[in-house]
Amino acid sequence: MDTGAPAITAFDLCKIYRIEEGTVEILKNVDFDVEKGGFTVICGASGAGKTTLLNVVGGIDKPTSGRIIVFEEDLGVRDEDFLATFRCNKIGFVFQSYNLVSTLTVAENVAFPMEWLRKPLKEIQERTKILLKLVGLEHRLEHFPHQLSGGEQQRVAFARALANDPPLLLVDEPTGNLDAKTSLKIIEILRSLQKSEKTIVVATHDERILELADQRLVLEDGQLVDMNE
Amino acid sequence: MSETFFAINDLMRRKLQTGTVVIGLALCVASTLFLLLLGDRIGFHILSVTESVLTPNFAKVFSNFIVFAGFLTFLISTVIIAFMVYVMMAQRIRDIGLMKAIGCPNDLVFGYFMNELVIVAFAGCLLGVFLGLAMDYISINLSNTHPQSQSTVVNFWLALLTFVIYFVLSLIIGAKPVLDTAKVEPSKALSPAYIYGLAKESDFKGSARAGFTVKIAIRSLFRRKSATFRVILCLTAVFLLVTVAVAGGIIAEHTTGNWAERAVGKNLVLLGHRDMCDRYKLLLSRFYRSGESADFNYTDTKYLISDDLLNQMSLMSNVTIDQRLVLEGRIQEVFGYTVDPKLGTRPIGDDRESNSLVIGVEPQKTFSKWIVDGESLGNGESDEAMIGDLLAQKIFSAPLLEKLSYSGQTLKVVGVCLDPINNGNVVYIPLRTLQNAAEINKPNVLLIRIDPSADRLQVLNAIRSKINASTPDFELNELNQELSKAVSFLGNVWSMILLLPFSVLASASLCLIGYVVLSVDEQRQEFGILRAIGMKPNAVVKIVSTQNFMILLSSYAVGLCLGIIATLLVLIPEPLVTDLTIMEITGWLVVVYALIFVISLFPVLRFARKPILEMMRRP
Repeated sequence: MDTGAPAITAFDLCKIYRIEEGTVEILKNVDFDVEKGGFTVICGASGAGKTTLLNVVGGIDKPTSGRIIVFEEDLGVRDEDFLATFRCNKIGFVFQSYNLVSTLTVAENVAFPMEWLRKPLKEIQERTKILLKLVGLEHRLEHFPHQLSGGEQQRVAFARALANDPPLLLVDEPTGNLDAKTSLKIIEILRSLQKSEKTIVVATHDERILELADQRLVLEDGQLVDMNE
Repeated sequence: MSETFFAINDLMRRKLQTGTVVIGLALCVASTLFLLLLGDRIGFHILSVTESVLTPNFAKVFSNFIVFAGFLTFLISTVIIAFMVYVMMAQRIRDIGLMKAIGCPNDLVFGYFMNELVIVAFAGCLLGVFLGLAMDYISINLSNTHPQSQSTVVNFWLALLTFVIYFVLSLIIGAKPVLDTAKVEPSKALSPAYIYGLAKESDFKGSARAGFTVKIAIRSLFRRKSATFRVILCLTAVFLLVTVAVAGGIIAEHTTGNWAERAVGKNLVLLGHRDMCDRYKLLLSRFYRSGESADFNYTDTKYLISDDLLNQMSLMSNVTIDQRLVLEGRIQEVFGYTVDPKLGTRPIGDDRESNSLVIGVEPQKTFSKWIVDGESLGNGESDEAMIGDLLAQKIFSAPLLEKLSYSGQTLKVVGVCLDPINNGNVVYIPLRTLQNAAEINKPNVLLIRIDPSADRLQVLNAIRSKINASTPDFELNELNQELSKAVSFLGNVWSMILLLPFSVLASASLCLIGYVVLSVDEQRQEFGILRAIGMKPNAVVKIVSTQNFMILLSSYAVGLCLGIIATLLVLIPEPLVTDLTIMEITGWLVVVYALIFVISLFPVLRFARKPILEMMRRP
């Protein structure tokens, strides 16, 4: 049931890393909301805290203080098992460096998050084919990641992120490592996903992606300095 | 920075890994040293020193075990050292890349890491020597199996020899991985995709029907085939040794115990004069307790069993008797002939002499069922003799081709038997023959077997009342007590040998832990990804435990088969394998497998609890 609450709410979010020399404050008192079905872009210079913010929103890192609420779940207080199930069901993550499992084929990389939810084998196989067709890699099913180009690996990562049809998609620098031509294909995928009802949050510098955004969060030295809608 | 300072600094920085290599090496050294000291005490000495404990054939079983286990321990140690240095260098590959990238020449890189190897090898070997000496000390003082005739002084030359051999061996074996890694191109060594000993581009798919956990596990194993092969080889040798020690040890314990039981007789009662009974028990204890004993006049008429008592015993229901005449005498070797295909018929034997126990038995009625090389008494021939294995070793060249002379009679040696009495320094001859030779027409010892269906206590009381009525100096003694002392002595010595695989097993566990650390390091980024996209921490443990299970199972299967073959075919003649033996062996081996499997999970249990971002970071 849709309660009308935002998909993501961040309250006074702080993230501090302790190092030998002292502490480094990566996120400083960050507050924002992301509406359901919105396309949000987090931008800022390198080291501004974009990836850290994305990690905190995705539940793979915990805030030092403040609260992060995603689909009405306070992720900062949940245990690892809950967060794992939550990520599997609700969040699709696309990492900057693709991060495919090198021991699995393209089809297996896409299929295995579905196996964790114990979906029927036939459904898994059919959905894998649909997703790989969506990203234009239906002919690469049995290849291993090292047999693919960077752009192809990024597209497999998109297909994997969509495997369990999550309502939230977090994408970290999707075109950061790609050439212009390959980047266009990724932008096309993002554009097609925008038409779905998914909430999409992208950390990027890419102007072409910024143009797609409903909302921009501008980070500077860990602080949210601008929030354009 | 000097090479030594760099080496010490680097080793201190990796305390856990350095500790693992040092302890692993120390355990190998300790196992070998313990074996050598044990062999020095009971194994090898027993073959050359007569009049000691354990008869030669019993000792031979122990010696075979010690030599075989020693060979395997050395082999395993070699593989373990090679593997540990390989893991050590695999974890330093990025440092090497960095050093070379900033201009450090190959020979200096080699020097830095050889210095580390020298320090680790020295520390490991030294610690191993202390551990080995401690194990030896514990085995002497706590297990109560130490043959009393042997010295408790430690042979420090063996300790020095073990130290030197292992130190040199470590440097020789370890030099290759150090040299190999020192030669890796800096660009390759610094690449996050490069793992020393890993075939990153493996396209092995395996079964398409397996679950993803199994698929990832199997494919990772194949990708690390060099390391996987090394660890399987190492564990196979370890399981071979464990099987030989556990299965072989248990079978040998049961078998040797059974040999003793068959020779002495089970559930028997000894009847004789009080002094004679004491003497008989002392003779039985020679098997496990050496020492001088006072002269004893076996021919004294007071020891002889009267016809009246003999008749009474013969007529008792539920009782069977084995009459024996026990004497001591001078035995002389009488040469025989052997046929040599080239030289023709040749005499064999040197007319050697020795004092020995001489026992007359009724061949058809005796309770003893000896393990015999050749034939047992019992063909009704009066000029036959069967000798104990110690006597055979002392004064005979080829006993079954020779004869012996006793009290003017020449008797043909038909068999060499295993018998603990007088520690195998014994001759068995037909009772009538001995009585004629010694001119004594009565036995001086009766062995009595009571029908198991009868009330044993009642029968014993009936016998006692007959003895008290006629010959009050005579008494009854349960022989089971003496037998159990001999059997438990054998059991204790085997228990000491069973100690051996545990130190090697501990060393192999460290090896497996090293492999798991390497494997987790190599897969850490992927585990991080899997966790980030929704896999639970337990699934990481499941993947690594599947890998460990497969490695252990494959090495276990081969090691177990080879171990059983070696035990049954090579190490123990006429093995006694009962259902109980099989159950006992299975139980121990399952415990060993489960133990090493659980230990191997330690690194991954630690790793699986780490935060996802830490997992995804390159070490």
